[in-house]
Amino acid sequence: MTENGRTMASRIVSNRVVAGLLVAIAALVLAQPAFAHEQAGVGGGLISGLLHPLTGMDHLIAMVAVGIWGAQLGAPAIWMLPITFPIVMAFGGVVGVLRIPLPIPEVIIALSALILGAAVAMRLRLPFAAAAVIVAVFAVFHGHAHGAELPGSANPLAYGVGFVVATGLLHLCGIMIGTLTRWPAGERLIQGLGVVIAALGGYFLAQSLGAAA
Amino acid sequence: MNLRLGRVGIAAAMLFAQAKAADAHIIASRLGDFYTGALHPLTDLQDIIMWSAMGVLAGSLGAAKGRWLVLVFPLGLLAGLVLSRFFGVVSAGAAVDAGMILVLGLLLAAAARVPTTLLSALAFGLALMRGAANAGDLGPDADRLLFAAGLASAGYAAITLTMALTLAFRRPDAAPAIAWRGIAIRAVGGWIAAIGLMMMGFALAT
Repeated sequence: MTENGRTMASRIVSNRVVAGLLVAIAALVLAQPAFAHEQAGVGGGLISGLLHPLTGMDHLIAMVAVGIWGAQLGAPAIWMLPITFPIVMAFGGVVGVLRIPLPIPEVIIALSALILGAAVAMRLRLPFAAAAVIVAVFAVFHGHAHGAELPGSANPLAYGVGFVVATGLLHLCGIMIGTLTRWPAGERLIQGLGVVIAALGGYFLAQSLGAAA
Repeated sequence: MNLRLGRVGIAAAMLFAQAKAADAHIIASRLGDFYTGALHPLTDLQDIIMWSAMGVLAGSLGAAKGRWLVLVFPLGLLAGLVLSRFFGVVSAGAAVDAGMILVLGLLLAAAARVPTTLLSALAFGLALMRGAANAGDLGPDADRLLFAAGLASAGYAAITLTMALTLAFRRPDAAPAIAWRGIAIRAVGGWIAAIGLMMMGFALAT
């Protein structure tokens, strides 16, 4: 090999070394911790808790339906609901955390969406006590599911804060939608929404019973 | 030229790999423990929830009852630090903390007319517990006086601001047109009680 050839080869090797080092530096500087599975720590617990009621469609539609039905029923349901529902649901959460089994939880949760959706669609006017008992039973089952599915590495308190806040906000969302009942067109829209919620509840019920794919 | 670049690259890579956070100013020297005491409660979710719940409860009861807490709460934190220092009391335990959050939430959700004496006793008890819990993380080299001053200042600021914000939101003797504000505060109480109940479950499960 000539002198020129050796110099050129040396330059190519040096360029490769520099390029490799630049890549290594970039990798070091831009490196982030890997959270491959469950969310960890306080931030992870908060995110898991906030997202848990939002990512399960059966939970989400049932919580919104509770808010809409409360708005349809008017006082005192409309203001008792956001105050008491989280407490009853947290009771269910405690049962779930303590691993105390409840009978056919998936079926009851699906049934909650079906019944609450139907109540909204039919503008079902029950006495407040009867409506409160129905909602309370469903609240215990929904809370149980949240408690039982607590991610192992997440901060439990942060998870609890997240899921209580997310559920409360879903109710608020339902109550806001429920205020449309003041207008005739809004009332029809809400009843249509009730039909959709009931239909989805029926689908989840069939799924939990093994009748749907 | 390229070999020189390579050496510079290696040196840069070593520097990047060994880089640490810069503690250039006040946190690590002189008044550092004051800031440690003031910021320490922010690092614990229990402190944030309990202090906020106490402030919202006091604010919901009105200025005449709540103003006592401006003095009682920081004094309770200091008493907790003293308890921890001389009697080795560190933390009341997760179940007691959960019980306190549950009680505060239920009082708020029920819109209970808590007497001033009971409110002050609750605030002092809570501050005592949290003062001792915060002192548990104090290092052997920390300046306890500065830490106590920081913690008491944080307690004063947090409780006063939360009460003031709640009072401003609620407005005295809310008229029917703004009655929803009272309901919103009670709903927050329901959320706080639910969090306390959940925490109780976690404490019982572990």
